[in-house]
Amino acid sequence: MYARAIITLAAAVMLTACYESTDVTVHKPGVYKGARDPLLAKQRAPEQQQTLRERFALVQPDR
Amino acid sequence: MARMKFLCDAERCIECNACVTACKNEHEVPWGVNRRRVVVLNDGVPGEKSISVACMHCTDAPCAAVCPVDCFYTTDDGIVLHDKDLCIGCGYCFYACPFGAPQYPQQSAFGVRGKMDKCTFCAGGPTADNSDAEYAKYGRNRIAEGKLPLCAEMCSTKALLAGDGDLVADIYRQRVIRRGGRPQTWGWETAYQS
Repeated sequence: MYARAIITLAAAVMLTACYESTDVTVHKPGVYKGARDPLLAKQRAPEQQQTLRERFALVQPDR
Repeated sequence: MARMKFLCDAERCIECNACVTACKNEHEVPWGVNRRRVVVLNDGVPGEKSISVACMHCTDAPCAAVCPVDCFYTTDDGIVLHDKDLCIGCGYCFYACPFGAPQYPQQSAFGVRGKMDKCTFCAGGPTADNSDAEYAKYGRNRIAEGKLPLCAEMCSTKALLAGDGDLVADIYRQRVIRRGGRPQTWGWETAYQS
């Protein structure tokens, strides 16, 4: 009786090793620590956006 | 503000590798590094498909999430760039990226990794636009010059599209309507959140 209890307990302990957590750890990106990119200011200019749109119309549509 | 995206039309790609060559030439990409490559699915089997793959500039970029030194940033129009001066070459971004975009030059013996290199959407990096330093580290900054990525501009069949996501989607939608069938915007579900 005592041996059966020990075997049951040992089996239960061993089975816990089979447990696999399915929780996914989602990481959020940190705050950028590098140098400042001068392109960022340039991109906000409407002229730059317009230039890229015109370029797209020039080179990307189907021939 | 535009949202820059890549789209490769697998029905049009003919595996000519001009995009790969154009990218390497434009940016003087070092040996062993391919910022863009063409992947062929079911190679040799009738109906094989080719897809040109590079950094997709994800909306929620996993490379940025795992970077231990926070060297990634996203521009206002969605281009994911990084600072090579901060990069420690740990390789985490390589494992996180679903497209295998980050690459490492083998600069020395014993497998030591150099600074991570990846597609910049031809937008350079965090140095003075079109300076020698920027060219040496990140390649040419075509966006600052008012141009789009050369890989897409060079594509002879217009399989590879790059630019404002709305305009790219419009072109692709018209193609799908014209040819029939279902749209297969490869990689878009992975890279871009709706």
